Amino acid sequence: MVWFATLAFVAGLLVNLSRQLNGSLSLSTSALHSSVWNHIVGLVFITVLAVLAGGLFAGAPTEAPLFAYFGGPIGVVFIAASSWAITKIGAAQTAMLIIAGQMIFGVLLDIVLGASGNMTARIVGVSLILAGMWLARSAPPAKTSFR
Amino acid sequence: MSQTQPPSLLRFIGAFATGGLLSLMVLFNGTLAIYGSLLFASWVPHLTGSIAAVVALLVLQPRKASTMRPPLWAYLGGVSGALTVMLTSAAMGSSLALSGTIAIGLAGQMVFSLVADARGMFGLPQKLPSNRDLAALGLILSGSLVLIFFGGA
Repeated sequence: MVWFATLAFVAGLLVNLSRQLNGSLSLSTSALHSSVWNHIVGLVFITVLAVLAGGLFAGAPTEAPLFAYFGGPIGVVFIAASSWAITKIGAAQTAMLIIAGQMIFGVLLDIVLGASGNMTARIVGVSLILAGMWLARSAPPAKTSFR
Repeated sequence: MSQTQPPSLLRFIGAFATGGLLSLMVLFNGTLAIYGSLLFASWVPHLTGSIAAVVALLVLQPRKASTMRPPLWAYLGGVSGALTVMLTSAAMGSSLALSGTIAIGLAGQMVFSLVADARGMFGLPQKLPSNRDLAALGLILSGSLVLIFFGGA
């Protein structure tokens, strides 16, 4: 349990390490360049792992609906946009807003797709997130440094 | 030292919409994982993404910000991202389940990003969070936890 909790925590660290590295790459190239390299390097890495571990085509992947294959192009925009955001508003604001967006659009998607869920919890959760976003957008703080 | 304004509306909405893209990616890639292996569900978006990214690069031809060669480590974001997918899948299969994995992952994200900002890690701008930033963060995280643990059926 502690071991898996550590894995989940490290996964959270790595998402942002990835964003930090891509953002850094975009500073000397461009946001799109960072997205290209992120995908190509990631593809090579996963392909090597797949060759070593095997089982890449296990299951019935050909039965997956066609739309499921289009996560890649969305990911290209996602990584480019993340690289753009982190260099403009910093890692914490970027992480915070991406989490907010993922959560709120996730609820909307669930509702559109008719996934069952607790509507009270959805309203409370989305309201808290919106309140946080409103607070982040309100008057500039007094004690912030940007060196 | 200069005061920071809250992010401009364009940047604010841009980052928020980026999170919306992530929810779509989770849906698409998660659907692949239902039919194929976890490796497959990460391999396919990287493959189709690589093709789409190279096409976009050829069509848009964005200007490089600098002629200096970036350090080699700056190219490793893709490795870190691919590892994330695998660790997440491993943790999801444990007693933590999806909700626990996402919730603990949020903690990891916030710790890393706050430290990265405070130290200006990997050459990105250094930035200290204000109390207002931290309060906003607290609200967004509590809202997320409510959705993660109570938003389901």
